[in-house]
Amino acid sequence: MRPVTNPIGRFVIYVSLIVFLLWSVVPIVWITLQSFKTQRQAAARVPLFIFRPTIDNYGRLWLDSTPNNVAVLAFGLTGVVVLVLLGVFAGRLPIPRNIITAGILGAVIAIIWVIPKIVDTAKFYDYFVNSLIVSVGEVAVSVSIGCLSGYALARYSGMSGVVMLLVALAFRALPRMAFLLPFYWMGRMSGLHDTYFLVIIALVAVNQPFTIWLLRSFFMDIPREIEEAAMIDGASRLGAFLKVITPIMWPGIFSTALFTLLLAYHEFLLVRILTQSKWTLPLAMVQFIGGAQIPGQIPMQAAAAVSSTIPIVLVILFFQKQLVKGLSAGAVKG
Amino acid sequence: MIALMTVPLVMAVWLSLNFITFRTLDAPEFVGLANYQEVLSDARFWQALRFTLLIASISVPAHIIIGLVVALLLDETSGRMRSVLLPGMLMPMIVVPVVGTLMFRQLFESTGLFAWFFSEIIGQRFIFTEYSVKALIILHTIWASTPFALVIFFAGLQTLPGELVDASAIDGASRLQQLRYVVIPHLRSLIVLEALIALMDFFRLFDSVFILTEQNPIFKADTVMTYNFRVAITVQRLGKGSAMAILAMIGIFVVVIPFLIMTYREQIEER
Repeated sequence: MRPVTNPIGRFVIYVSLIVFLLWSVVPIVWITLQSFKTQRQAAARVPLFIFRPTIDNYGRLWLDSTPNNVAVLAFGLTGVVVLVLLGVFAGRLPIPRNIITAGILGAVIAIIWVIPKIVDTAKFYDYFVNSLIVSVGEVAVSVSIGCLSGYALARYSGMSGVVMLLVALAFRALPRMAFLLPFYWMGRMSGLHDTYFLVIIALVAVNQPFTIWLLRSFFMDIPREIEEAAMIDGASRLGAFLKVITPIMWPGIFSTALFTLLLAYHEFLLVRILTQSKWTLPLAMVQFIGGAQIPGQIPMQAAAAVSSTIPIVLVILFFQKQLVKGLSAGAVKG
Repeated sequence: MIALMTVPLVMAVWLSLNFITFRTLDAPEFVGLANYQEVLSDARFWQALRFTLLIASISVPAHIIIGLVVALLLDETSGRMRSVLLPGMLMPMIVVPVVGTLMFRQLFESTGLFAWFFSEIIGQRFIFTEYSVKALIILHTIWASTPFALVIFFAGLQTLPGELVDASAIDGASRLQQLRYVVIPHLRSLIVLEALIALMDFFRLFDSVFILTEQNPIFKADTVMTYNFRVAITVQRLGKGSAMAILAMIGIFVVVIPFLIMTYREQIEER
């Protein structure tokens, strides 16, 4: 439509947008504020907006005892900063991209592994690591299966798309319980209960139709001629898929992976039922839901909430454009 | 893959026909349809179902309307403005649902921001009762599900052919008429899709209810899923829980199948 030019109209538009923005972010801003307060400040009846921030809550959440070795800490922080800088400026270094990516990944894993050995981390750190393992595992399995089946569906039959869409929607409709109780029972019977393996498999089963559907709509965009050309030049179908299609598809695969990551990271009920000790962050939150009745609880709760949100928010905001593009491509093209 | 998805379902049906608790996991006792009978005559189940339907009937239209309006407004703004606004607006979708609910709850607890507003403006303390908790759950579902609707409607608006709008303007259509006869029909399939997805999501709503009620039966705010969880895990009636899940599944399909057929027809027409 023609843009509104009437000044009053534009004013109304901006005001409404800002109201909606506030409605979206106020809960998040408020809990972030709370997490930097002491218990007394947080429990004040008249909300405080100006106060002296404290990071004690985060300290208590992540660490069992305060580290006394400042040098080690400083060293670790420097390492992280260097890694981030490396990640940002990687494009300008005269080293092949793959090596840099592999290096950064390796370093991140090493850091995550080393931290508990240096400082005395609390249970929350373990939950964080569990979350990482489960979500990354789920994304890896689900996207690789999704790519193959999405590709097959996009190439081999005209109606497959519609059927797949329906199956994806139908499986989305299934109550989780109908899935989980059998998984729970199987896990108990086979001794797989409380393992990462079972959680990841169950997550894949629940989210897979959606992944396939999304990927299929991306594959549909790639003209068949491209791979035919590759095949005439002597590539096998698999070769054409891996060397020609996958690179073109990369943005699509990436946004699907992001969305799957979001779903896996958010999962609560599934993990709650299928594990006892391998808690992920959403589950760890539950131990803080005691509410205002328990003394000292509000800021801790807030700190836990913020801590468990920050990783995923950083990842998603960093790649926000791809996620939005992916979602809209999937939804609009059907 | 298909095995991974269908085997559990078949097993769910089988489990639902047996009497199983955690202690008799390896010795299920076959009881036939007794579990189903028990679920259907369970007043709490019907109560949970009613509340679930209430949530769906309020939240589905509300979040679609809000999402649509905001998408239309956002379409009016410049690219830079959008890149500032959009990340903030997407936050509710990114935040872990459990955490999002906690955030909501903290706002309304006696120390929270809204509780304070509430007591300042109305002069009454905000307390968690059956009704206020239910209202909070509904409010939260709207909060959490609007961004997704916003994103796909906004993407849909970008594909709106400009000539169509121009032509309607030349024909003398007012802004409202354009909206009614050009824009909404263009977005129709997306709106149906979103309604469908939201309907399913609300039907299996669990996290937010779990957090807001702390499973407290006083609030009578069980949804089908939380009650199911309580039966299957807390009370350890695996068989009855499965029966309930199967019933819920049948229920949701009865609601959803007309939508599915509609989507199917539309997709075929497009081809």
